[in-house]
Amino acid sequence: MKVRPRKKEGIGAALLAKAHSAEDASRIFTEKVQQRPLFLTPSSPPPSDARAARRRAQEKKKEQRKKALKPKPLSATQRRKLGLYDVPREGQKYAVFEALHTLWVGYIHEVLGSEIYTGGEGAAAKLASADFHGAEVEIVRSGCVSRVGIKGIVIKDSKFAFEVITRKNRLKLVPKEGTVFRLEIPSPKQTDDKSQAPTPAKEQPESMVVEIHGEQFQFRSDDRASRKFRTHFSKIL
Amino acid sequence: MLAFQAPSVYQASKCYFTYGKMGHVDPKQPPSKSKPWTTLLGQDFVHRLDLIVPEEAYEAVHAAVVQNREAPQFKRVVISLRDVLSGDFFTEYIKKGNIMMVSEGRIGIDNVYCLKDGVLTMFLDKETYERAGLVGKPHGVKGKRGLKPRWVVEFALKGDSMFPGKKGFERLVYASKNALSAPVTWLFCNVAGTVPTPDPLLQHSPANHTATPDILQSVEAAIPLLQPAAEYIESGARDDLESFSTELYEWLSLVRLESPRINPRDDIDPFLCRYHAPDPVTPGKLCKISWQGYLEFLATVPNAPSCGHQTRWENISCGR
Repeated sequence: MKVRPRKKEGIGAALLAKAHSAEDASRIFTEKVQQRPLFLTPSSPPPSDARAARRRAQEKKKEQRKKALKPKPLSATQRRKLGLYDVPREGQKYAVFEALHTLWVGYIHEVLGSEIYTGGEGAAAKLASADFHGAEVEIVRSGCVSRVGIKGIVIKDSKFAFEVITRKNRLKLVPKEGTVFRLEIPSPKQTDDKSQAPTPAKEQPESMVVEIHGEQFQFRSDDRASRKFRTHFSKIL
Repeated sequence: MLAFQAPSVYQASKCYFTYGKMGHVDPKQPPSKSKPWTTLLGQDFVHRLDLIVPEEAYEAVHAAVVQNREAPQFKRVVISLRDVLSGDFFTEYIKKGNIMMVSEGRIGIDNVYCLKDGVLTMFLDKETYERAGLVGKPHGVKGKRGLKPRWVVEFALKGDSMFPGKKGFERLVYASKNALSAPVTWLFCNVAGTVPTPDPLLQHSPANHTATPDILQSVEAAIPLLQPAAEYIESGARDDLESFSTELYEWLSLVRLESPRINPRDDIDPFLCRYHAPDPVTPGKLCKISWQGYLEFLATVPNAPSCGHQTRWENISCGR
């Protein structure tokens, strides 16, 4: 059975010739295949009467208006261009953020209350939902060894990284993945006593040391507030 | 660091055999490029050193190696890495002097620090490495991939960049304050021989040890042929050379173990032991001098390879 089409007509004509008589086959081929209109846009052919044309114009306008009203997030390029989160050069000073750090210490004392002395799960739960902007953080362990030793005040706490300003006025963006951060929270008595004469070292209460595993902490600070943390086995430890 | 690779499931232990003629050796300038000199110089920490010589040559060797020199000394001290890298100890011993130190532990299981020729090598487990923040290379057969990856970190402390205040050195100091801060027991050996005054080690109260040589004289032994037959060398018959070298190695090990099997008049029941020294055998007498401790090879037997030309033969064996 030879289905090979003749060079002029093609396989469509050959198949039609099998199903229909010769004239029908050639008529179907010409009307339905060769002269088939290809609609390049859904709206072509243009509307035949004025009413259909007006209706079409109105619907198009409504759709555009709806789209313009819908809020769209910025793309990464637009965000970078706007520079919403950039700290200006004059502002990249550690001294500027030390005041923020003092505020943060006060805030964390309120959050922890008396659990700053006992530590444990209660303190951990409260700290997990606390905000860390202004905390003095040191990177203590990391899969990327060059990050170890970075110490500074947290400026930005994003979903996957901490932006930190160091004492040498350098901004460092430290990813949370595979990294352990250490915080030292001075106890309330230490901060109160600063105005009075300094007590001898033995009597001074120690500070609370907290280590945060960045792997488990990869949430935005606002999302973290309502999150219930469950213990997970860590791949890196 | 290791002169020979540690045996593992994947690679059986190898025994290397070199045969050649030694020319005249100047004791003050021994060659260092060819075998066996590269093997001798490649030894790092030696725990046990045995020297076996025929009795005829014993007097000369004894005079050269034992009598006219002090027995090698080493110390055991508890000191933290931070103290090693700071103060007088660092400037006198590490920068100016030549010392050898190794810390307690098994490489591959514990955290071990070694210092040799001014190179500090640290064998760390994963947690310590990640906390230290120093750049290193994966260590071990599995490297980074296994369940418990291990790392090696090396620092050339004699270099120009290793001074307090320089970035690279400061990172090492930071690590020694945080991750590597615990005091560790070290074995310390002063290779240079001169002790700086005042000795920076004294404040850490070291315990002194001396590796006095044990001397075994006039051991009756059946000595086999110590040179391979000429036809083995010329034809390059590998099997014959192999059997010759393994039999010789076996005999030397038995001498080293002070086994009674090498005695020519040994008459043990063949049910218990069927060992015979490889034929042809000449009875003779041997002497063995052995040192045990934390030794540096060339400091212990500096003249030994060169006084070999006075004796007909000698054997030096060392083990870690």
